[in-house]
Amino acid sequence: MIASIVILALFPLIGAPHSWLLYVFLFSIYLAMANMWNLLAGYSGLTSLCQPSFLGLAGYTMAIGTWVGIPWWVGLIGGAVVAAIFAFLISIPVFRLRGIYFAIGTLVVPEALRMIFYLWRPVGGQMHGAGAGYMIKGIADVSMADIYWYALTLGMGSIFLVGFILRSKLGLGLAAIRDNERAADSCGVNVFRLKLYTFIIAAFITGLAGAIFYLYQGYIEPSATFNVKWTMTLLLATVIGGMRTEEGPILGTIVVVVLYFLLARYAGYSFLIQGIILIGIMLLSPQGIVGVLRHNRYYRSLTQFINTR
Amino acid sequence: MSHEVLLKINNIDVFHGTFQALWNVSLEVRRGEMLALIGANTSGKTTLMDTISGLLHPAKGSIEFEEKNISRLDPYQIVELGITQIPEGRRIFPDMSVLDNLVIGSYSSRARAKREQNLKKAYEHFPILRERRKQIAKTLSGGEQQMLVIGRGLMADPKLMLIDEMSLGLAPIVIDELFKALGRIKERGITILFVEQNVKRTLQEADRAYILETGRVALSGTAAELRDEDQVKKAYFGIEVCD
Amino acid sequence: MIGFGDMITPIMMGILLGGLYALIALGLSIVFGVMRLINLAHGDLVILGSYMAYALMSHLGLDPIVGLIIGIPVMGVLGFGIQKYLMGRAFGISAEAPLIIAFGISLVIQNANQIAWTPLSRGLTTSYSLMSFHIGQLQFPLSYLLNFIAGIMVMVTLREFLIRTYLGRAITAASQDKRAAQLMGINTNRIYGYAFAIAMISAAVAGVFLGMTFPFTPTSGTSFLTIAFGTVIIGGLGSMLGTFIGGIILGIVQTVGGYFFGAATQMLIVYIIVLFILAIRPQGLFGR
Repeated sequence: MIASIVILALFPLIGAPHSWLLYVFLFSIYLAMANMWNLLAGYSGLTSLCQPSFLGLAGYTMAIGTWVGIPWWVGLIGGAVVAAIFAFLISIPVFRLRGIYFAIGTLVVPEALRMIFYLWRPVGGQMHGAGAGYMIKGIADVSMADIYWYALTLGMGSIFLVGFILRSKLGLGLAAIRDNERAADSCGVNVFRLKLYTFIIAAFITGLAGAIFYLYQGYIEPSATFNVKWTMTLLLATVIGGMRTEEGPILGTIVVVVLYFLLARYAGYSFLIQGIILIGIMLLSPQGIVGVLRHNRYYRSLTQFINTR
Repeated sequence: MSHEVLLKINNIDVFHGTFQALWNVSLEVRRGEMLALIGANTSGKTTLMDTISGLLHPAKGSIEFEEKNISRLDPYQIVELGITQIPEGRRIFPDMSVLDNLVIGSYSSRARAKREQNLKKAYEHFPILRERRKQIAKTLSGGEQQMLVIGRGLMADPKLMLIDEMSLGLAPIVIDELFKALGRIKERGITILFVEQNVKRTLQEADRAYILETGRVALSGTAAELRDEDQVKKAYFGIEVCD
Repeated sequence: MIGFGDMITPIMMGILLGGLYALIALGLSIVFGVMRLINLAHGDLVILGSYMAYALMSHLGLDPIVGLIIGIPVMGVLGFGIQKYLMGRAFGISAEAPLIIAFGISLVIQNANQIAWTPLSRGLTTSYSLMSFHIGQLQFPLSYLLNFIAGIMVMVTLREFLIRTYLGRAITAASQDKRAAQLMGINTNRIYGYAFAIAMISAAVAGVFLGMTFPFTPTSGTSFLTIAFGTVIIGGLGSMLGTFIGGIILGIVQTVGGYFFGAATQMLIVYIIVLFILAIRPQGLFGR
């Protein structure tokens, strides 16, 4: 495990081809977000469809910050903080919603934000065309290698973070909530507070990942940012890999990134196929790839081996 | 009352997920009788009812109705064959009228043909339902709601009626009325299997009874035999509310 | 000062628009009322109806409303199939499964449409869809009126169906108490299939009228889903009349809001209202 991280970290130094860097970069970003989504939907029972709001808010904070002289790295962290605060604020109305209402509420939030950022131009003049996007200033000196490492750190870090949370008291409470919320409540588990913590943590990390992504991309605009396609990708990664498992998001993200590059030429088809795969996996193997693998003896001994290290 | 067996349950095991609720349960219901199922809350009696009705399926063993194996049928098919369950909790359709509640009871094709007939009979058993037929069901009193669900069950033209905890939360005078109605229903030839908590009352009304304890049949026999059994009193230690 | 007289146009427009919104939302209301499933793909299914009408119109020259003769059975069967083979199984898998599968269906439809029809926006233009009619001195698009009438007709049809027929009553019963309904001899699986089929049929109708009123693209589904959802939330799920009124309210909110705050913010106001209602009274004005 550590070995693979070290190898991946060495990529930029050994002059690996740019496309490899890109793959791993995207993988890390998606991985961080997928891990967070798994934490929310898989372990806490919060099927949140508003992840784009977090990454978008963080990205915009950073972008707008660079226009008013705030260095990008401050904006990066600041953006994640903004995302976390936003999560806190909307949790008040949104957490009152059960199950399906929660999903719709969280679906609407990014849409509303998209509209807001489409119309609101806090700094700078009108961009040509209809877009309300922003270039991110002052990042010319940030090398691809740096961005790569930030992403890698975040992505790998998210694995440890999830592992840590699940083995902590928070994780225990979450497991109880997921199994039977009312029972957990009557046992003294503060359901609201635990969900809130998870939501805020997920928002923060997702925000960070988003900001780093936009650091790489160099510009940000509302319709691609607050777009359900992000949610789709995360959903797919988590579900294909296996919800409620720690390895699931890792495997799923690999599949998603591979698919992404394989099908990049056939833009429309890629999402179509992803949609079909999503349905297929849910029906045929709800536990995802991990579910299939767990039936395999070799996989089981491998995971045992890793866990005892 | 004949000794012809209407429903036969053979050594069934029933699970809720991984939890075993019924262990090797055997039971028979004879045509035309009033059979009681007695047991505490954790005894598995509702599980047994649900299994007969097809909401659950036995992992082992079989259930035969009129000599036909019904163990794997869906609930609606079992209703079609003539077994109706009046579930516990007075599960009326709260926002529909009394009449609509009754009519929906005759949904199965066999029952639909005899709808008007059965509606008349239901009103005969429970005149108050005719009086309140346009009222929204949730505005009825507890006793009236229980009458409604029994009436609704009758609309399905059953040969066997399963009644789960009919008297829960009702005043004794209402319970008396209900049992009287059950008596008249039995006279029409409908077999009744009922589950109750009040042991004494149950043994007064039933012809025979089975006692369930943590998923197993502990005792069975005629009401007279059981009235004196010490085990019956033991099964209810702490549960019995009055007397 | 803005007089009330000036507001008549936006209010009327809002009412008429509300009829369309109600038409779109009725199917969602049934599915949610009966199966407690928010069909995330509903918006896209409506758009699918629009595209189907478009196909019939461009290849066979069929007027969209006439095209419904084909559209309704096709969508009905499709709906039954989706419920039986996809959603029905999803319920047994996990709590999130139906949501995820609906999401998957939504994306499949969106992208299938995108591939088949390109992202270009389309419209169903007929000889009458661009006409307008007059009330006094004010002028309104005829298509809006048609939408409103269609909305009322579908609402009334559904309402009567649910109250008077055995199947309709079975659907209502299953929505109020699934277990009790099963014990009545109602085959709930099959009932859910019919409910979904009915929802799809109403989506087909909605798609046709929508297409005649507004241009649509493969991704229009999402915004209409939000509107439909807002309508159902305001009006209360399971109630056909409530959904209709919810649509009117939403329509008025949108047009009047746009009147005061500018056209660009219309949708935003709608979204905010939806979130607001979700926060304070999720079961809607007429809901249970």
